[in-house]
Amino acid sequence: MLTKTQLHELYYWLLLNRTLEDRVVSLHRAGKIFGTVYTSRGQEAVSVGTAYALEKEDVLAPMLRNSGALLVRGFKPGEILSQYMGKSTSPTGGRACHLEMGDLQRGVVAPIAVLGTLVPVVAGMALAARMRKLGSVALSYIGDGGASTTDFHEGLNLAAVQKAPMILVIENNGWALSTPTRLQTSGTNFMTRARAYGVTGFEVDGNDVVQVYETTRKALECARNGQGPALIVANTRRTGGDPGQEDVLSAPKAEVEEWKARDPIRLFEKYLTEGGFMTAEERNSISNRARSEVDSATEFADRSAFPDGRQALGGVYHEA
Amino acid sequence: MKPDRVRRETTRRTAGAGRSRPQAVPLAPEEKAPEAGGIDDATHRRMFYFMALTRELEDRIERKLYRQGKIVGGVYVGRGQEAIGVASCIQTRPEDVICPSHRDLGAFLIRGMTPRRILAQYMGRRDGYTRGRDGNMHMGDMQKHVIPFVSMLADNVPIAAGIGMSFKIRREPRVVLCYFGDGATSRGDWHEGMNLACVQRVPAVFICNNNQYAYSTPLNQQMAVENVADRAVAYDIPGEVVDGNDVLAVYHSTRRAIARARDGLGPSLIECRTFRMTGHSAHDDAGYVPREMFEEWESRDPIKKHQQHLVEHGILSAEELQGIRKDIVREIDEAVEWAEQSPYPDPEECLQGVYQEENRDGLPMGGNG
Repeated sequence: MLTKTQLHELYYWLLLNRTLEDRVVSLHRAGKIFGTVYTSRGQEAVSVGTAYALEKEDVLAPMLRNSGALLVRGFKPGEILSQYMGKSTSPTGGRACHLEMGDLQRGVVAPIAVLGTLVPVVAGMALAARMRKLGSVALSYIGDGGASTTDFHEGLNLAAVQKAPMILVIENNGWALSTPTRLQTSGTNFMTRARAYGVTGFEVDGNDVVQVYETTRKALECARNGQGPALIVANTRRTGGDPGQEDVLSAPKAEVEEWKARDPIRLFEKYLTEGGFMTAEERNSISNRARSEVDSATEFADRSAFPDGRQALGGVYHEA
Repeated sequence: MKPDRVRRETTRRTAGAGRSRPQAVPLAPEEKAPEAGGIDDATHRRMFYFMALTRELEDRIERKLYRQGKIVGGVYVGRGQEAIGVASCIQTRPEDVICPSHRDLGAFLIRGMTPRRILAQYMGRRDGYTRGRDGNMHMGDMQKHVIPFVSMLADNVPIAAGIGMSFKIRREPRVVLCYFGDGATSRGDWHEGMNLACVQRVPAVFICNNNQYAYSTPLNQQMAVENVADRAVAYDIPGEVVDGNDVLAVYHSTRRAIARARDGLGPSLIECRTFRMTGHSAHDDAGYVPREMFEEWESRDPIKKHQQHLVEHGILSAEELQGIRKDIVREIDEAVEWAEQSPYPDPEECLQGVYQEENRDGLPMGGNG
């Protein structure tokens, strides 16, 4: 059972995730972000609920849209914004303009843009944890489309047969870019994948952060007990297009509206206020905190310098 | 001996053959035909002939010619697995396509590829199917609709998906049979090929020769599910486990799957449980396989089992079976002699066959397949 403090933290991360991404969209429109932007509006509860369930020693490998998970794992909003803006203060020193960044110190493996390819990487990290008896778990995400790739199959199969402590979250948002699930796989019920690979399966409402958190805790327990990987199917929907390519959000309007009515942040607010876990003052204070953090992060990123051209030569090979 | 072509009955399944999405359940039981087990005597005879022919041809290659140093490449045989390729492929129509694996020699033979040219292939001779360019199973025949075996296992699965898609798009009532081993099902290409074939509901039948070892890796060290057929559920198609050493079981299961594919109901996955009675190849002594497994599966030999069935049901007498086997030995003797007389290719011939040429008989290249 989550304590009141934990519930407030979850709410804070959700709000920070959304506020930050809204800012990313504004900065993109203002011409301050020149790369492509991938946001997660409507799916924040999956990133936040899963990452919040992890222990410090666990490893997390996000996809490009899991900025909420990065925040929970200790990435600062300033780091994320300076990354998007290509500034020298970003984790990649301005070499990449979206969230292709990680930090092994903070247990975060950088996303790989080619979807599915991260699964065997994470399977390997989980296998290493098992062989070294670290007791840690490696968690990663894949979309409904990514689950049809070769690497998904090989990675999950390897983790399963090796009983590697891996958790794979399928963010089932119904659309692989513009392809609806039924046109890209015959196995539209993703829970059947658990049976096909011999792993434990869980299905959750991906818009319910508490359910996501509690299920991830259960999956972590299975993995830590040596039961091998777990697959979490989180049903959700992306309700905001990416700036500059809004039309790519090709779900029919009615479908988007239906999911907007189940917005994860609004749902959680309702749960917190109706359950008496959060007062209006507490809510305002959390919301103000998120906004002011994003404000100062924007200022920080904006003030930061672009990298010197010569810096592009660094970081190619391992440096001491 | 030349087996007669059996008149093929059309099996239009009506019960429950609506266009609704198929459920991941075993294939529906078929109505039994009046003949014993629904298989007529001529088909029984052909199946026995092709299994025995496969065994004799492979024995000759692996146990004689290879040891005499006459085979130029590696040798991969399907001893103990003959029932799978034979009982499934025997039901194909001439216009159907097969994508065999290296342990399905019987399927190649049924499609009309000849023992003598196969022997020439293994000996690297000009009359081999690759005209001496390969000394192994990488052979096919586009005119007989046999896709050359692809060495990278599971890579024939996306190929089969593409072939099936072309049938669907052209509205041709043809099916494609695709064969692979248990190890191949852990490969990414298998997943992509299966997924594509299943989402497009192409007329394909996927047949797994589950011989329990992927080279030296036992089943339980390469997948976490008990049966390969358990993987069918992820694609929402029927998956069935059958005794791969029982030619009748394989026949009936693939018959339902082929009918289903022809009816536009999409692919099925059939897992044929069997055992590789040799090493991975002629250079592998299979020291990693417990001896008891060989003993156990030797007693379940598919040819002996079929022979027993034929005699018990009075389909063929022991003398007739003996006669068929004798004829086969003679047929292979002649084929070996013919192949040994085939010349080696001229070195300059290796420049041919790289790009599309006029599709000469047996040349495994694209074109009018």
